[in-house]
Amino acid sequence: MTATLLAEPELIQRAAQGDSEAFGGLVQPHLSLFFNGIQRILGNEADAQDALQDALMSMHRDLPRFEGRSRFSSWGYKICLNAALMTRRSRVRIQDMERPEPLALGPFDERGHHTETDHLPEWQEEAQAHALVEKQEMRACLLRALDELPDSQRIVFVLKDLEDWDLDAIARHLQLAPGTVRQRLHRARVLLQARLRSHVLGGRS
Amino acid sequence: MKLLPSCHDVQTELTEYLEGALPLRRRLGIWLHLLLCRVCAGFLRGLEALPGVAKRSLAAPAKAPEAATLALAQVQAQVQAALRKEK
Repeated sequence: MTATLLAEPELIQRAAQGDSEAFGGLVQPHLSLFFNGIQRILGNEADAQDALQDALMSMHRDLPRFEGRSRFSSWGYKICLNAALMTRRSRVRIQDMERPEPLALGPFDERGHHTETDHLPEWQEEAQAHALVEKQEMRACLLRALDELPDSQRIVFVLKDLEDWDLDAIARHLQLAPGTVRQRLHRARVLLQARLRSHVLGGRS
Repeated sequence: MKLLPSCHDVQTELTEYLEGALPLRRRLGIWLHLLLCRVCAGFLRGLEALPGVAKRSLAAPAKAPEAATLALAQVQAQVQAALRKEK
């Protein structure tokens, strides 16, 4: 019987005993999810491939201890995120210097209020956004915008807004004050919103 | 500190506001500003919508990319090699 026809518990048992075909059959349905989670953190595809390989080795090693309390996909996804976060910690990113530039807000008058309010575009055109999601354009736009973020902001946005970690957990993991995490999250959101606004509204920003 | 913050102040502090991290007086000032200023209210709607739009857009595609398939193949090869060595 080929591995793809076996039920997950049997695949787990066989893979834990060293059956590499069963391991492939077990992982394959979740491979896209695993890789996607890693790539959202690391950005770079080559780094993501290495981290996925590390994560898959960890999964294979730890399978005999997997007790089935959670779904295999959830258990594996956690291992993948940990591998991505470990890779992120270990790599040196020169471009990750905190940028002193101000937030991309405004224009404001001397009292800090908006000028030309009639010409300021409203983002959040849900219908347009959904249409773009379907066409995969939004994905490409967001990936480009994420790549433009400093790593210190990207990781906070990914963990908070994509992975739903709470801010205290992010602060503990990154060893930062919660206020710093909120500040980085805000910078990331403002920049991403500006990029999406210009994309959704056809280049106006 | 003024009761009614400027648009710049509001847009700088919106994540703090959404996370409930501001003192009451500041929170009230921003809340009032958002009632009065449609541009800042629109900015807030954009910020609130961003996680949902990003989650939908950046969800895993149905088919794993080649880099992922390669990583799995490499791990399977390593597992097989380790088994052969044991035997």
